[in-house]
Amino acid sequence: MINWTLYKRGIHGSLKMLLIFAAVITMYFTVIISMFDPALGSALNEFAKAMPELMAIVGMNPASADLVSFMEAYLYGFIMLVFPMLFCILSANRLIARHVDRGSMTYLLSAPVKRETVAFTQMIVMVTGLFLLVLYSTILGIVNCEISFPGELDIGKFILLNVGVLCLQLFIGGICFLCSCIFNDSKYAVGVGAGIPVLEFIIQMMANAGEKLENAKYATFFTLFNSDGIIAGEPGAIWGMVILFAGAVALFGAAIVIFSKKDLHI
Amino acid sequence: MGICEIQSLTRDYGNGRGVFNLSFSINQGEVFGFLGPNGAGKTTTIRHLMGFLKPEKGYCTIGGKDCWKDRADIQKTLGYIPGEMVFFDDMTGTEFLSFMSKYRKIKSNGRTKELLDRFELDPRSKLKKMSKGMKQKVGIVAAFMHDPEVLILDEPTSGLDPLMQNRFIELVLEEKAKGKTILMSSHMFEEVERTCDRVAIIKNGMLVALDNVQTLKAAQAKKYVVTLENEDAAVEFAREGLRVTDVTLNQVTVIVQNNIKELISVMNRYPVINIITPNQSLEEIFMQYYGGDRS
Repeated sequence: MINWTLYKRGIHGSLKMLLIFAAVITMYFTVIISMFDPALGSALNEFAKAMPELMAIVGMNPASADLVSFMEAYLYGFIMLVFPMLFCILSANRLIARHVDRGSMTYLLSAPVKRETVAFTQMIVMVTGLFLLVLYSTILGIVNCEISFPGELDIGKFILLNVGVLCLQLFIGGICFLCSCIFNDSKYAVGVGAGIPVLEFIIQMMANAGEKLENAKYATFFTLFNSDGIIAGEPGAIWGMVILFAGAVALFGAAIVIFSKKDLHI
Repeated sequence: MGICEIQSLTRDYGNGRGVFNLSFSINQGEVFGFLGPNGAGKTTTIRHLMGFLKPEKGYCTIGGKDCWKDRADIQKTLGYIPGEMVFFDDMTGTEFLSFMSKYRKIKSNGRTKELLDRFELDPRSKLKKMSKGMKQKVGIVAAFMHDPEVLILDEPTSGLDPLMQNRFIELVLEEKAKGKTILMSSHMFEEVERTCDRVAIIKNGMLVALDNVQTLKAAQAKKYVVTLENEDAAVEFAREGLRVTDVTLNQVTVIVQNNIKELISVMNRYPVINIITPNQSLEEIFMQYYGGDRS
């Protein structure tokens, strides 16, 4: 079901992108964690008080003053949503649609390797990339906190938060990968594959702004990733994670089936 | 039953494009030429054989297996040169060939080395920076390296210089001698004449001719170049009602189909000093199927 030669090639091809994203995440994590001040409330909290609406739009309104809530608010409301999402968009297109669009898919299919195997392998490449990115962020967060504020971080809750982000990103990855498998043109694959999650993200930002648009949260799957709820241990938030994961499985499954059955003009 | 069967294959792209009710069969050990102008449906047919497209109607099989349902299985013993060489980014030729060999799970690489020597190819540079001819050679090596039983070659020598075209023809003849079955689409008429047993010609997605290369050539109207004593005689000669395609100084080119006696009787009345029959290429035969305006 998996072709290891293709897998190695895919991971090799993803390395550069992964390193860039890891570097960006490292920068944000280091800077933002250093702004935490357990005694007085951080400089960021001052911002939140001064401009509550603006900070809410990008998900930066901490529920409480502990370190894990601080990270949830300032890193997992925007940074950890946007950068892995960007990785999904770029790598989904690179793994399938671009090969079909350019014609290099010819070589992958003029060999005794089933289309299902090609699509499944490429999916595993993408999932591996996402997993590594989130795993790296988790370790980075823990190490950073333990160095600067030993013992302050609730590691269990932080890991659960990262599992939640991974479920959300797998779901987004599923959308991008499905589009990459449906469209023969890179531009449509990226257009629709990026368009849907970006639009949903904008709806979420509007819902965060509150007031009249609050009900918009029912129109976006980002609501299923309830980071406050995950930290508070709400069962609803855990169910949201489960639904996102199940959705991701369904999206990837559909993508593989569609790719295996469609006509390829290569 | 041929090793490769195409039966009532239909795929309609609209506006008369596609392939329509196409049927032919290729025998084991045969080199089969597949000709037609651009847009005639050659590549569409090949895409069906490769299992890239699902037939709207009809079916095609290779070695008794369905080209759509059993496509991965068929690929075990199939070699393919695509009409367009598009490789992966940032790989060198060596990396690409080693990737394909591992991807296909080929045990020995002896054949690859032999092919690289034969085509004098040093694959160590980046594929992106290779010339068209070099890329074509990489594609040829990738198609033959696993010693396939059936070969589908879509314009295999485009971009190659005459020396390498010749090497390729030798390779095809060797494979044919080993009993391999080859389908070859081509615009290089010399390679078709030298290698193919039979030729199918398609136009607008329909089969217009299928015959031995020899029969096709024999069915062709013959061309004669008659040289006369002077230009005036040549002009007069051209007005005799024969099918004249060209008058150059004192030379007249005449096309004759079953009326050689008429030509002889006309020639008797003129000061003819020479007559030659130029060697006609398959291209000229082939062009007759497209309305004859270029013959």
